[in-house]
Amino acid sequence: MKVKVKSWTAVATWRWIANDDNCGICRTAFDGCCPDCKMPGDDCPLVWGQCSHVFHMHCILKWLNSQQVHQLCPMCRQEWKFKE
Amino acid sequence: MANIAAGRIQRELREVMNSDEAIKNQIKIEFPIDDYSELQGEIIGPPETPYQGGRFKLHIKVPETYPFNPPQVKFVTKIWHPNISSVTGAICLDILKDQWAAAMTLRTVLLSLQALLADAEPDDPQDAVVAKQYKDDHDEYIRTAKHWTTVYAGGNTKNQELEQKVKQIVEMGFEETCAREALSSSCWDVAKAIENLMS
Repeated sequence: MKVKVKSWTAVATWRWIANDDNCGICRTAFDGCCPDCKMPGDDCPLVWGQCSHVFHMHCILKWLNSQQVHQLCPMCRQEWKFKE
Repeated sequence: MANIAAGRIQRELREVMNSDEAIKNQIKIEFPIDDYSELQGEIIGPPETPYQGGRFKLHIKVPETYPFNPPQVKFVTKIWHPNISSVTGAICLDILKDQWAAAMTLRTVLLSLQALLADAEPDDPQDAVVAKQYKDDHDEYIRTAKHWTTVYAGGNTKNQELEQKVKQIVEMGFEETCAREALSSSCWDVAKAIENLMS
């Protein structure tokens, strides 16, 4: 029997690879987005610090903006530096 | 209440209710109002402290900006402790002020308060009178703190001698809470307490 493929639809899944399941700031899963966004994906990315802790970018920016003196990681209180 | 705060508080309430400490009845959280901005917490006094056997109620106010700013917590149950005001219940604890971090939760706050009861910081006092007693006359501090735990937090170490002194002053026409506060502040010296109440 010979089969001829007339058309096909590709389906892919994706997920963030983070060393934690939930964002320590908003407590929602990394597979979802931060509470201010509607869709997970590149519009609501994750960012890593040099201390290896990871957060939604929108969440960590809000935290850093709320800190007047020192910019510390909310998890380990080391100075927050974005990982290159 | 802001989106992020409300969502997080709901998750945190679940976390507290399912925690080992809550199952062992050591911490508790209730939310009398549906918007989650005002909560009621409860912690038990840690064993081998003057607060053992007591249940201490807390008022927790969650700001719109939570978790970027700490919750405002104070003791509703009266308590005799160097870092907690014996009059207002205001708490002096770094993580509720400048040492707050967004990764902390209601559960870690309640556990930190339990740790504070077990390990006071008399050099950073909220109640200077209690802190002075803690440092200068530690036995007297323990006796007073135990008495307050029994009277206000449902502890079970009755102290007839102290009760008798309170009664003595109440019979002179003073309010019981004032009488107890004056006696506690003057190391249970009745004459000195009356002098304080008169001035």
